[in-house]
Amino acid sequence: MTSLTQAPQTTPVTPPRPDRTARAVRGNRLARFTPYGLIGPALIAFAAVLGYPIVRLVWLSLQDFGPRSLFTGEAPFVGLENFTRVLGDSDFWFTLLRTLLVSVACVGGLMVIGFLLASLLMQVSAWARVMLSVCLVLVWAMPMVSATMIWRWLFEPQYGVLNWVITQLKVFGDFSAHDWFSSPSQALALIIALIVWKGLPFVALTLYAAMGQIPGDLYEAAALDGAGRWNVARHVTMPILAPVLAVLVLLEVIWSVNSFTPIWVLTQGGPDGGTTTLGVYSYLEAFTRNDYSGGAAIAIITVLLLAVLSVLYVRRLFAQDEAVV
Amino acid sequence: MSRMRRKRAVPNAIAVLVSLVVIFPVYWMFATALKQPGKILSATPEFVPWPLSLDNFRTALTHGPFLHYVRNSLLVSVSTVLIALVVALGASIALARFRFIGRRAFLVGLVLVQMVPGSAMVIPLYLMLRSVGAIDFVPGLIITYMTFVLPFTIWTLRGFVAGIPLELEEAAMVDGCGRFGAFWHIQLPLLAPGIVATSIFAFISAWDDYLFAYVFLKSQNNYTLPVWLVSFQTSDGIDNGATIAASAIFSLPVLIVFLLIQRRLVGGMTAGAVKG
Repeated sequence: MTSLTQAPQTTPVTPPRPDRTARAVRGNRLARFTPYGLIGPALIAFAAVLGYPIVRLVWLSLQDFGPRSLFTGEAPFVGLENFTRVLGDSDFWFTLLRTLLVSVACVGGLMVIGFLLASLLMQVSAWARVMLSVCLVLVWAMPMVSATMIWRWLFEPQYGVLNWVITQLKVFGDFSAHDWFSSPSQALALIIALIVWKGLPFVALTLYAAMGQIPGDLYEAAALDGAGRWNVARHVTMPILAPVLAVLVLLEVIWSVNSFTPIWVLTQGGPDGGTTTLGVYSYLEAFTRNDYSGGAAIAIITVLLLAVLSVLYVRRLFAQDEAVV
Repeated sequence: MSRMRRKRAVPNAIAVLVSLVVIFPVYWMFATALKQPGKILSATPEFVPWPLSLDNFRTALTHGPFLHYVRNSLLVSVSTVLIALVVALGASIALARFRFIGRRAFLVGLVLVQMVPGSAMVIPLYLMLRSVGAIDFVPGLIITYMTFVLPFTIWTLRGFVAGIPLELEEAAMVDGCGRFGAFWHIQLPLLAPGIVATSIFAFISAWDDYLFAYVFLKSQNNYTLPVWLVSFQTSDGIDNGATIAASAIFSLPVLIVFLLIQRRLVGGMTAGAVKG
């Protein structure tokens, strides 16, 4: 649910050689069934907690499941009607556009600032590196709910410290009693800032770890050839980091589209639906308007949009990690 | 040496500045929570809380059955992690140590389901729980948390199992250990740190969940800590000091755990996540 825990990971090690595993397994007839025995419980659990709900979601989107169906348990099959209705609603398209904007802003901010922070970590003394990475780890650890509550307090109109700071800067004018949440675009800016702040540690520390693995010889060679800082970044660092950057972008797009808690707790999608993204939209449709099928249709459209990115991510991941395949 | 030092002075100064900005919201949480309640609503904010006061914490803890919410949160998170571990351990060994038909498909599915948003899962899960009468039933939440904890746990443990050199097990088996003996005496002890790390992450993801708990728990007595935190109000309406103190209470355990494991975290976890 949070970027903190979704990081799939493998400890960097030599993958077991397939031929040897094969020999070990062939040696024992019983062993042929062992993997199925070991994975069986997981398969059953998967079918129950993931398989069934996903099938149910798809089925739901093809039905007309309204408030009455909750009690009768009956819902007529309506084919693709929910989808045509959702796609014919201008609200949906505005929401989609808003979701894309939020996600582009979040991912752009995350990648640029993350890259700068990682480069900074490479250049500073040990004490500064420890200090900055401890700060980043603490931000990473902050539960999203707490972070969101703090955000609300930081930008509280009357007593929020940020309004006070902005007023003191004397650049943007008087911000005392400025209500960020009354304007959709400003509320969205706060939401984006929150997602970027919370997501930054993962991006910065991952990029830092990747930069640390670039051999120093390359930089020495580049320096000998008279390359300046910009050229080194462009011709040495960037090409080597490209695969990591690609994976990060994919993950962050998916995560930012999926983020629900910050938006829901800060604005509930308001004012006037002005901060509603696809996740909030499907939630509202299902649980506020009790149109479970409409909500399911929106959710499925979201999943399908993300599926393209997910497949790209899986391909990259499996191409990198030989132990997986 | 002095040239080196001068070269680093500017980046170091930037790092100090950046650290201050990055950590400020966390600092502000503790600073606000520790202020005297009367000083929280002031036109000019006080950046260093003095004198310190625990009044906000007292309000947060005594308003409503706080320990009850802790119990609910712990019950759900701990059960989720334990069940997930039992199911995931076998699966992760199968995935890391055996080649079998359907293995690749399972791995792909494992990654893909982690990309499905919670806001999509929540609709069918709601109808499922409702049909068995498990809405507003705290243990019912465990099933819903499995949807994200289980794939994560299997995937992560698989990485740790794959990290144990196969030679060790083979050597044990040559010395007369059975497959199970090799697992029990060799693999499991080596896997222990990985199991602990995975459990911590799985626990935190369940501990942090707001969406599912918010949708599936209705009565106040059944709230978990995140739902309690967001809905926190005293009889006088919103008490900012107490709310922020409540956030601090909720975050503190996670912050401490992260600080303890941070060396490992920064080195290993991120490097493995998206290695190039």
